[in-house]
Amino acid sequence: MNDPVITAKGLVKEYGNGATLVKALRGVDLDIPNGSFTCIVGPSGHGKSTLMHLLGGLDHPTSGTVVIDGQDMFRLGNKELAGLRAKKIGFVFQFFNLLQSLTAMENIETALMLAGVPEKEQKTRAKELLDMVGLGEKANAKPGQLSGGQQQRVAIARALANDPPVLLMDEPTGNLDSEAEAEVMNVLETLNRQGKTVIFVTHSNEIASRADIIVHVRDGQTQLPQELRKAC
Amino acid sequence: MTHTNLIFRSLTRRKGRLLFTLLGIMIGMASFVTFMALGGSLKSQIEQESAALGANLVVTPKGSCAYEQVSILTGEQLPTTITKDEVAAIRSIEGMQAIPYLAERSAIDNRPVSVMGILPEETRVFKNWLLAQGEYFPEETADGAVLGSVLAEQFGLNPGAEVRIRGADIKVLGVLEETGGKDDLTVFLSLPVAQQLYEQKDLVSYVAVRVDRLDEVELYANKIKDKVSLGVVSDKQMRGSVLSIVGTVNMTLQMIAAVAILAAAFGIVNTMMTATYERKREIGILQAMGATRNGVFKLFLFESGIYGLIGGIGGAVMGGLAAVFATPYISQNAATSFVKGSQSSFDPIMFAGAILFSTLVAMVAGLYPAIKASKLSPVEAISYE
Repeated sequence: MNDPVITAKGLVKEYGNGATLVKALRGVDLDIPNGSFTCIVGPSGHGKSTLMHLLGGLDHPTSGTVVIDGQDMFRLGNKELAGLRAKKIGFVFQFFNLLQSLTAMENIETALMLAGVPEKEQKTRAKELLDMVGLGEKANAKPGQLSGGQQQRVAIARALANDPPVLLMDEPTGNLDSEAEAEVMNVLETLNRQGKTVIFVTHSNEIASRADIIVHVRDGQTQLPQELRKAC
Repeated sequence: MTHTNLIFRSLTRRKGRLLFTLLGIMIGMASFVTFMALGGSLKSQIEQESAALGANLVVTPKGSCAYEQVSILTGEQLPTTITKDEVAAIRSIEGMQAIPYLAERSAIDNRPVSVMGILPEETRVFKNWLLAQGEYFPEETADGAVLGSVLAEQFGLNPGAEVRIRGADIKVLGVLEETGGKDDLTVFLSLPVAQQLYEQKDLVSYVAVRVDRLDEVELYANKIKDKVSLGVVSDKQMRGSVLSIVGTVNMTLQMIAAVAILAAAFGIVNTMMTATYERKREIGILQAMGATRNGVFKLFLFESGIYGLIGGIGGAVMGGLAAVFATPYISQNAATSFVKGSQSSFDPIMFAGAILFSTLVAMVAGLYPAIKASKLSPVEAISYE
């Protein structure tokens, strides 16, 4: 097994307090190997999304650490953490991933802009990325003019804008029909073969069956990861 | 993609809302600019043409008024009149108008009246006199008298009648319209005629001075004192109260404008708050893509700043046009006639200032929504549906 690109230790996340205290995560330890295709599966409300948000540095844990590429995320200030999100992690969410007022191309350019890429280079790179997900001819379409699958592919292209080592997906196919789902999965598998670490939250067992590692989340805890195809 | 582009794309997304918010600011700024222009013109009007005030300096002989006592103390014989040379010296100063008068007394039917020797044409213009009956002095040295309206009525004198002044029968040429001042009780003669009658050849009693710029009265008082050794009395109190009235009117106009701007500012707050809620998800996505809190804050702040900038430009243009085109109509109204001539007070500095001010107000208005937006946690923003 490769070295872990993300290591989570003792992750606890609680919401509210007193009688309304909700323990979303109750101490999760997790290693995500570099270059793996990892699925986080589990029923709704058991902490999958919370775990993903913590792994991506979108939220702060009540306790515990997440180390990505050697950096302890929650020791960073807001600004450094935002920079880390821009460079190390590409996010794709289930709904409304794209900025509706911008074209497919501009959505990708915005991600590049946030990482400090000069405007001239943005266009070339954005075009490459759109070609990579097979949407080169839709560059000037607004999200409303794209199908769900196409929108998610644009979102993936955008997540890849800054060439992050890790892609974090929160049910990216949860909203798609099976044809669109297949399109998206194909893109993801291609990327994974090219060396990207893909972390994928889903409650679909069918999708999970395509992963290298399955992490089951239940009642805020992980069960032992099952390593499948790439078992050590 | 640049930050500026991103801001403009967000702005133009809801075109209706953009338009209505902009209209709010434009109307606020337009009223502000209009009122400032009107107020400014009022002030410059009063400072430039202080016609309504009459004289603001009076040059008196040292022997008159307060100087009399000095003469008793020192035994010095002080003159009670001003000579022709002194008048000429005073009148040679530029930037002011000086009108000499010979003030004397006489009696009609054993009742005292004041008699005034004047330079007919200059005095008429200076005092804005209108003629009620008969004719005015046909020439500068004309014989005959022009009477104040109250005096004419009191003694039943009409044009063509004769009044006896210092033993001479003088024909009444005309009667002035009522002025509301002591001119109504005065017999006016042309200066040479009066000087001859009262044996004051080439002498006058005082010189009324009106300076072109009211705020430079003191400067001119000193200029006169430098030229001639005479007393100069200025009406500081009058000037002070007129300027304070102008100030009050300006203040009132500005307060009305401030209310309009305040209302527009809350329009921006409202628009930006709505935008914050509406774009919650977008904010989360931007944060996931690596936007910092500071970045989100700036996006929203500049977005409202642009409302202010565009609204300010539009408002300043609208207000400027209103000031230029509407004021001639406003000035036809007796109560607001003071604003005439405001075209001249259209001021590019004020124009630029209004735009800057509008942008600043909009950014202040956008502060709270921008802080709200930047405080959103990414997870909260993404989970919002």
